[in-house]
Amino acid sequence: MLDFIKDNRKPVITLGLVTVIAYVFYFLDEIKTTSVLVFGWGYAVPLVLAAMVGIIGERTGVVNIGIEGQMLMSAFASFFGSVITGNIYIGMLIGIAAGLIMGGFLAVAAVKWEMDQIIAGVVINIVAAGLTSFFYAPGKTLPQLVPVVSIPILSDIPLIGPVFFRNGIFALATLFIVLAVNFAIFKTRWGLRSRSVGEYPSAADAAGINVTRVRMMNVTLAGALAGCAGAFLALEAAGTFARGLTAGRGFLALAIMIFGAWNPLGALAAALFFGISTAIASQLQADEVINIPQQFVNLLPFVMTLIVLSVAVGRVRPPAAAGQPYTKEG
Amino acid sequence: MKRMRTLAGISILALVLAACSSGSSDTAADTAAALDDSNCAAAESFCVGLVTDIGKVDDKSFNQSAHEGAMAAAAEVGGFYKYIETTDTKDYAANMGQFTDKSYDVIVTVGFLMAEATVTAAKANPNTKFIGVDQFQAEEVANLTGLIFPEDQAGYGAGYLAGLMTKTNKIGSVLGLEIAPVQLFAKGFEAGAKAANPKVAVTTVYHPPADNGFGDPVWGAAEAKKQLAQGADIIFGAGGGTGNGALAEIAKAEGAGTAVFCIGVDTDQWFTVPEAQPCLITSAVKGLTEGTTGLVKKAFDGSIAGGNFVGSAGISDYHDFASVVPMDVQDKVAGVVAGLKDGSIKTGVTL
Repeated sequence: MLDFIKDNRKPVITLGLVTVIAYVFYFLDEIKTTSVLVFGWGYAVPLVLAAMVGIIGERTGVVNIGIEGQMLMSAFASFFGSVITGNIYIGMLIGIAAGLIMGGFLAVAAVKWEMDQIIAGVVINIVAAGLTSFFYAPGKTLPQLVPVVSIPILSDIPLIGPVFFRNGIFALATLFIVLAVNFAIFKTRWGLRSRSVGEYPSAADAAGINVTRVRMMNVTLAGALAGCAGAFLALEAAGTFARGLTAGRGFLALAIMIFGAWNPLGALAAALFFGISTAIASQLQADEVINIPQQFVNLLPFVMTLIVLSVAVGRVRPPAAAGQPYTKEG
Repeated sequence: MKRMRTLAGISILALVLAACSSGSSDTAADTAAALDDSNCAAAESFCVGLVTDIGKVDDKSFNQSAHEGAMAAAAEVGGFYKYIETTDTKDYAANMGQFTDKSYDVIVTVGFLMAEATVTAAKANPNTKFIGVDQFQAEEVANLTGLIFPEDQAGYGAGYLAGLMTKTNKIGSVLGLEIAPVQLFAKGFEAGAKAANPKVAVTTVYHPPADNGFGDPVWGAAEAKKQLAQGADIIFGAGGGTGNGALAEIAKAEGAGTAVFCIGVDTDQWFTVPEAQPCLITSAVKGLTEGTTGLVKKAFDGSIAGGNFVGSAGISDYHDFASVVPMDVQDKVAGVVAGLKDGSIKTGVTL
């Protein structure tokens, strides 16, 4: 435990500081602080999940800019799956399945066919935008509401409880997904192999790892997480589907992935930072505490991101083989 | 080689689908009146073209209302009607050009954001009548009529109702982009609420400036949830899909329809956003459909004039909430709406 703190001094100090600040505000105004953080975490959930898709892909050497399309397709599939079957749980599964299929498409195009990865991602985005707006039918409603689950004990903690542990299924699962992805990438044999494939595929190949198979599998399975993000947006966050529902969140997630230095916990922090600063921007507007135009207030998250990125630049490095198709020699 | 061909095939399919659902090829014709637009230049034919703002003619909001109005007018006078859905703000001029090239008689452009492009097109085509829905004309162009609405009056009526109905003395609004029509709704809402109940606090939050300001239901829902948590019990959702997201979120909230209510915008959203029915007491409406129909018919008989044409605005039916809203509140609100219409009550809203 002490070793862990010593190794990660900066993140631990930041986390401690943020927690203290949050509780100071909680002490000042319980309701406002909680609702702002609920907004922030809700905003962050799809960004974190989508960033996981990007991290798993790039750590294995495949750049995925089709996350936006994967999410949109899954949101569409989960919503209309729920409407048609009359059951949101089946809808959730259909959404995740749609994500898997879209992930599989990227895997086949970018890994098996060795197509340019950027173009494959763009194709996904265009296909998703086209299909979902062509087959969109207005005036449909969900057959039932997504239940809100409270985790016993944890949800009773002031502030943290209602924000993180009293949510719909996907929002609850997100924290555990991030921890699981982090553990899998850095502590398991699968993670070591994946990272070696993303850093130095020919060496991994020489060591007996099937580069193509690892990449195919990871990119496809990551699609399921994009499916979760899409289902979250349609079923939990909006409770409806609209054309272009994802509204650029898939691209924002790529920035968050870089912001988090291709590290799941880093991406979680980056997404929370972005979500909470968006929430603060809207709260400043609502309270009219400072009499400046809302356009400036709403620039806040982007300006802060820019500052942090410019400070962080040069210290982070993408996986060496990200974006390069691997062709076995000889 | 084969896989390359498969891939090319998929890409083409994708492009075709994207094109079908967007812009230029997605057109519909009112075939009952005239068969095509090949002889629009002839004096006996009357052709009406409509260009939507970013959005579709089934957007449950202003594009749909204007589309229905223009279509009805064309059918009534036996004219030909066709529409183009804009998918990119850069295409406004090109989409209007498709109609001017074929010498259409009337071109309806929908939405505040298209105002500038419409003025340019009207000046370039003096023989075509242009109708700009939601477009205030600062200077008069002879062949361009801006159909504008007193949004502040609709907002005022809705705000007056909210001010009388609120129990917590906190109400809120979840809005699209901060542009003139939305600001008028929001400021009218606040003025109306304060006139009805001086103790009321009104929260006003606009979507951050972005391309998706009117199409971000996820943000709208989150903002509505936040305002509810902070004690607001009536929320005005005004901003296309963003506002609809807010309405849908309030409909799911605890006490929806008994302690917590929502108010829609533009059209009677009881019909257009059915998921909001559990909380939707009324909508602040503008007479988009009747206004568009009226102007197209004026263009047909030649009585249309340049400048601005002020349509009607008010609040819609209470539907199932007619029994929830107390009778004396209904009477007071009806009095205020009538007063706004005849000019005896002023909203006092300025931009």
